[in-house]
Amino acid sequence: MPDLPNPVDFAVPAFVLMVALEMLWARRRAPEKYEPRDTLTSLAFGLGSTVAGLLVGGLIVAVSLWTYQFRVVTMPWTWWAWIIAFVLDDLAYYWFHRTAHRVRWFWASHVNHHSSQHYNLSTALRQTWTGFFALGFVFRLPLLLLGFHPAMLAFVAGTNLIYQFWIHTEAIKRFPRWFEAVMNTPSHHRVHHATNPRYLDANYAGVFIIWDRMFGSFVPEVDHEKIRYGIVRQLGTFSLLYSVFHEWIGIGKDLWSAPWRHKLSYLLREPGWSHDGSRETSDMIRARWQASPESDDA
Amino acid sequence: MTWIDLAKIAGSLVAILALAGFAKLLRLGEDERIRGEAHAIELAGQAVFGFAATELALDRAGIGALLRDAEGRQMLLRRHGAMWVGRLLDHHAEARLDRDFLTIGTGEKTFGSVTLHLGEAAQVWAAGLRRLPGGSTARA
Repeated sequence: MPDLPNPVDFAVPAFVLMVALEMLWARRRAPEKYEPRDTLTSLAFGLGSTVAGLLVGGLIVAVSLWTYQFRVVTMPWTWWAWIIAFVLDDLAYYWFHRTAHRVRWFWASHVNHHSSQHYNLSTALRQTWTGFFALGFVFRLPLLLLGFHPAMLAFVAGTNLIYQFWIHTEAIKRFPRWFEAVMNTPSHHRVHHATNPRYLDANYAGVFIIWDRMFGSFVPEVDHEKIRYGIVRQLGTFSLLYSVFHEWIGIGKDLWSAPWRHKLSYLLREPGWSHDGSRETSDMIRARWQASPESDDA
Repeated sequence: MTWIDLAKIAGSLVAILALAGFAKLLRLGEDERIRGEAHAIELAGQAVFGFAATELALDRAGIGALLRDAEGRQMLLRRHGAMWVGRLLDHHAEARLDRDFLTIGTGEKTFGSVTLHLGEAAQVWAAGLRRLPGGSTARA
């Protein structure tokens, strides 16, 4: 297997520097944008995610190489193959990400990235520890069958992750219209992290916002409504371990107590679904908002 | 895991602690307080979409509030760092009254309990918490 470097390793010093610079911006403009305990929790998420990646990285490589042997064609190591790999990997990311918000099993892992009530560059590093366990990597397996080498895919996935770092900020309002039309930007991604009913389950893009425009999940940011970040039912704790595992714990409790015929639904239905209607999904909250006077100015 | 990996982890740990320390040094995360009834009502509506408070009791220092809507639902609102969190109270809620102070727990261990200085309203709200769905545990 070709020995390509992990691009994220080279980006980490820049991540640290940019977080520090954004803190200086926050001190001058909006001190409430950061909270030291929240920052510590988010960064600890990032470190734990790195450790988890090191522990299971070998398994992912093994699964990838095993899948790659069943490829229908072999993509060459040329410039155009890199570009196609990057674009298709971003498409695969879009569908992974959309599923991660719509299927509780995947959400239990991905919720970690959303559970901060702050939206700043430290939030970008708030990454899951349980991604491998949740089988999120299966969304990239089709690219291996198309003949892209696992090392090439790992490299473009790392590059994708680096791109997504800088868009987690409120320090940048909007870019020129042509850029906002094609690329994922801070404005589009603020919408994705919002809990305002108008924004729930929108803008799943990694790098190219065109996927959301193509598949009907794009929602633009409006200027007249303040964004609230986090999750519908905010955690209310900075406890790292609880923050990591709370949704898995919730799934476990529901599986234990639910009637047999509903157990699978607590794994595979959307977050917030309950067999007795005692909870609300994002669709239900949005429907209530659409029926309310608040949506008249939408 | 190689020695290089361990060195990366150690370096990341140092960077994390340095950044969290830097945030503290810069005094980021304002000392947020509830600024009045309208503010509390707005925060409650944000915590649970559609919760329109009709009655409320504010903590004297502005660190939390108890609110009730027209349907009789009651919400505990409290500070969480520089942000706010709310919980609708049900029969898992616990309340302990100590003169003008009311300590309320949601029954959710990680959410913790909060002591609100409500003045004379503390007794009224303690009584109200006994009428929650299923009946809460309220002690004087």
